[in-house]
Amino acid sequence: MALERSPLDDVHRRLGARMVPFGGWDMPLEYGPGTIAEHLACRRDAVVFDVSHLGTVRVDGPDALDRLQAAFTNDLGKVAPGRAQYTHLLDDTDASVLDDIIVWWHPDSSGGDRFDVMPNASNTDRVRDAVGGRETTHERAVLAVQGPAARQRLAAVFPEAAAVRRFRVATATWQRTGCIVAGTGYTGEPGVEIAVPAESATALWEAVTAAGIEPAGLGARDTLRLEAGLPLYGHELGTGITPLQAGLGWVVAWAKPGFRGRTPLATERGRGISRRLAGIATAGRRPPRAGCPVRLDGQDGIVGEVTSGNFSPVLGHGIALAFLPPDVEVGTPVTVDVRGTALAGTVTTTPFVTSAG
Amino acid sequence: MNVPEELRYSTDHEWVRTDGDVVRIGITDYAQDALGDVVFVQVPTVGQEVTAGDTFGEVESTKSVSDVFAPVSGTVVEVNEALADAPQSLNDDPYGDGWICTIRVSDPGQLDALLDAPAYQALVEG
Repeated sequence: MALERSPLDDVHRRLGARMVPFGGWDMPLEYGPGTIAEHLACRRDAVVFDVSHLGTVRVDGPDALDRLQAAFTNDLGKVAPGRAQYTHLLDDTDASVLDDIIVWWHPDSSGGDRFDVMPNASNTDRVRDAVGGRETTHERAVLAVQGPAARQRLAAVFPEAAAVRRFRVATATWQRTGCIVAGTGYTGEPGVEIAVPAESATALWEAVTAAGIEPAGLGARDTLRLEAGLPLYGHELGTGITPLQAGLGWVVAWAKPGFRGRTPLATERGRGISRRLAGIATAGRRPPRAGCPVRLDGQDGIVGEVTSGNFSPVLGHGIALAFLPPDVEVGTPVTVDVRGTALAGTVTTTPFVTSAG
Repeated sequence: MNVPEELRYSTDHEWVRTDGDVVRIGITDYAQDALGDVVFVQVPTVGQEVTAGDTFGEVESTKSVSDVFAPVSGTVVEVNEALADAPQSLNDDPYGDGWICTIRVSDPGQLDALLDAPAYQALVEG
């Protein structure tokens, strides 16, 4: 099947980006400066990612709120129009996370509630099947402007967007083009994500980069989210993994009347989880990788497995997320087996890196 | 793509600088570009006997790990210790500071089996 292309595809190719398939899309992995330089630019200044591969499912109508409340684990009753919320869609039979999602609740609900549900690219169909609505992915591009200087730099070209605070959602107009802006991201840095009509995406991208906001690719987005301890669907979330195992119990609103997967999840809660996602800091520069077995020091057996791992550009050593027995405490020495080489590690809290911004 | 005229090349994208019976090796510009940012290099051990075509090191980048194959058979004489702190030399200067090790070749005749610069250029431009 042919890969989908972002409205910014021509821009990436003109910039000499290395393009890779991701979730059925042909997206930039990195530009000329490379993943580490792009990563550090996001931690120190500001970068822009094309995240148009994220899905958008527009859900509106009189029962829109009820449909989302019945499908997703979090409680939209805790927020209001003009807010974004992180939530999960679970499998009704075993409470596996079918997708992790950000819901943008449009600020103007005078004509009834309107939501933009943002699934992972490859899960858009299953999310639309769960909540109905209309996929609008191809009508817009999404630019994620992230970094401690993101708002300051963006203010020079799109002040309305720069003013959107953390987890707020607003409409904003750029050169007579209506955009939807959310104070969200996936880097652990301050910033906003801007949904712009596809036909205006290139002009906005060029204005943003002219303001000194450097392009960054999905390579840096992955190392940034790992430093921030954020889960990636297909690694820390997916088949056989529940929100409780992933350490995301706060995403589950037990108090609301119901949601898909509540019954099997309640069973797990009563029984206790068998494993829990933990951070591991490893000594030296060699990156731990997904699939590497983890052992407790002084014991022979494998107790867990790395789900994501890499070199941390900020810390200068390896970091990993791994499923470990729930009683393994922070500070516990562990060994990560990287293709036969034993890497010394320590169980640590996440995020590994917090924003200075 | 930089392919220096004076070097020899393996089909596994290593370069070999011949200087008597001790040769210096590293990975090519093409290889470092394909790998992306190098964050760790596992160099071989001094004194290690290696056989052409065998794995004797690893290069880890932010996106993947790649084996380093011995381009010739022989004994490892020296390894580039500076890579422990500066693995990015493989990206910045693959034919200079980014060298990996030197090898005393067991049979100098085997160098004839390596590609010359035009042949390697043709390989990567395929």
